[in-house]
Amino acid sequence: MQLTLPPGLSPQAFDAAVKALQGAVGAGWVMTTDEDRDAYADIYAPGPETLWGASGAVAPQTVEEIQAIVRIANEHKLPLWTVSRGKNLGYGTAAPRMPGCMVLDLGRMDKIIELDPELGYCVLEPGVGFIDLYERIQQDKLPLMMSVPGNGWGSVLGNALEHGIGYTPYGLNAKNLCGLEVVLGTGDLVRTGIGAMEKNQAWNLFPFGYGPTWDLMFSQSNFGIVTKAGMWLMPEPETSLELNLDIPKAEDIGWVVDTLTPLKLHGIIDQSIFIPSWLGKMVILGQRQDFWDKPSAIPEWRVQELLKEHKLGYWKVQIRLYGDETVNKAKAEIVKAAFKKHIDTPMQEVWWRRGDPTNVMDLTLGVPSAVPLQMGNWVGGKAAHMGFSPVVPATGKHVLDQMTRSRKIIDAHDVDFYASFTIGGRFCNNVNMLMYDRDKPEQVEGIKKLFNALIADAAANGYAEYRTHLGWMDAISDTFNFNDHALRRMNEKVKDVLDPNGILSPGKQGIWPTAYAAQRGKNLA
Amino acid sequence: MSRAKPLSQMLGLGLALVAALAASGCKLVDTDNKAAAQGGPPAGGPPPPPPYQMRAKIEAGDRLHTSVTGADLFSHRCGACHLTWGMGTNLLTAQQVAAGKTPDKGLLANRDDLTADYVKSVVRMGKGAMPRQTRVDVTDSELDKIAAYLGKGK
Repeated sequence: MQLTLPPGLSPQAFDAAVKALQGAVGAGWVMTTDEDRDAYADIYAPGPETLWGASGAVAPQTVEEIQAIVRIANEHKLPLWTVSRGKNLGYGTAAPRMPGCMVLDLGRMDKIIELDPELGYCVLEPGVGFIDLYERIQQDKLPLMMSVPGNGWGSVLGNALEHGIGYTPYGLNAKNLCGLEVVLGTGDLVRTGIGAMEKNQAWNLFPFGYGPTWDLMFSQSNFGIVTKAGMWLMPEPETSLELNLDIPKAEDIGWVVDTLTPLKLHGIIDQSIFIPSWLGKMVILGQRQDFWDKPSAIPEWRVQELLKEHKLGYWKVQIRLYGDETVNKAKAEIVKAAFKKHIDTPMQEVWWRRGDPTNVMDLTLGVPSAVPLQMGNWVGGKAAHMGFSPVVPATGKHVLDQMTRSRKIIDAHDVDFYASFTIGGRFCNNVNMLMYDRDKPEQVEGIKKLFNALIADAAANGYAEYRTHLGWMDAISDTFNFNDHALRRMNEKVKDVLDPNGILSPGKQGIWPTAYAAQRGKNLA
Repeated sequence: MSRAKPLSQMLGLGLALVAALAASGCKLVDTDNKAAAQGGPPAGGPPPPPPYQMRAKIEAGDRLHTSVTGADLFSHRCGACHLTWGMGTNLLTAQQVAAGKTPDKGLLANRDDLTADYVKSVVRMGKGAMPRQTRVDVTDSELDKIAAYLGKGK
């Protein structure tokens, strides 16, 4: 990819900034060739990659090097875009919101600083991947279980900071963060919570501070660069019991959610419960053309045929209980009785006991895997995906209402309906996968139109996206419109104070510093 | 993912693939799946996916001038997708079988038709579902070693 300069920076000034960065981290860790820019581009970009093209990347290994980079960025007015490992697939990968930013790649900061099985926590640098932490826990034979997302290739902290979700009782990954160390835009280094005290013994254990608690202000945020953080880990349970059930019809999701939510709120089910639709199971069976060879959406009659052919329900309920065997048995009886009121099919039970091997696909037992990304192969070509992911109250009424409206819009755009619901507590994340072949411009355009229609409809009905791709960060920010976008105005005041030159990830989540305010609304998808 | 529908069955590759992968020289941490015996799929059905395969442990050292072996670097840097039952292995196995090759050729380490230049090109430029790898993911020095290790086709 050709070099795109940051706004207001001349080629000469950019060159001077690059030379200064080379002095700070070594020439080998400043990457500014055309090939490097390609490698940091969004491989799933819904449109030309140059819309979100980086000017290069710099990869520090220490906090001191990060502070040096921030000093240089301020001096040269070089905007940075921070990534932990840059594997945020579907949301922009490692690419910046504003073209010309230098990616600050923290992938080399991959130390597991603490790993404590007694109290169940670790302290990590941002470059530690799920696979790295998993293998360390296995090698040291520690009785700990991780919460892993669909993409195990990414960073543990990066995923938590982006509000990623997993499927164990610790599935709300951002809630496991405890005590952050952060470099601010001024170069200052702070520790949040009671880590503000030198050598505090409990800063990764106590979730509050003395006074305001700032940890989550650095999540989905451009207020600082997280250099290390505490993360709680679940003690490995004695046993785990998986209860599987196929649910026949799409509209059954209403009673399924009304059955599961009370069980979750009463503590019978602790995990974040993932309910994928049939298509979630089909996408790794082969390619779409093997099952439906027309570009139009798979019609309902064919869906019904496929469900029969492959012995699938419309939904797959996969509940996992964690804990002592007697407790899990008792909980299972309560779960089974609750479902028996609606469906006669017995639940399939699969026990796991501590010491049993876990298989490579056991996401709900904390095994990281990248296989779920295989769904990209479904559409073939230069396959990519995005997620339309509104948050809805976890009741059948809300879930059915959202599903009916979004399904109508998706049908009208002649796109396959591929939904899942994850009950995380009192709410569901309703992730609708939108898959497209980037080699087919008409398909990309169609998906963009569909995505815009879905966002507008959800917002009009009081449902918000929990996360989004670079190209919609401003659009989603616009939907948070209470009192003339009062929260965005507050965020941008804070931004200008903590990062006066606006050099840290400008435009992230629609938060624009004054220095780059003119870029708001540009380079949308 | 449910044990009732293991990936092998979904991919339509069945026992042959699992057996081939297990016999392909990959170090599996444990192949004795007690869970299957305690309520997994019925006897005679397809086996559950194999246990997680650990990557080689490497000392990072000077990554710009690495002294780690190509085999260990491949395992560590590419292992998220290219060891047994990785995403890349699954897709490549299907491709190799479709091309009339044996399923074990889904593992890159078993291929004898790769060249070092081809490996480097795919790593940096990407291919199909495989994203381009940055020089933080894999340094040039590391890629030289990996390409030499995989490039048995010369």
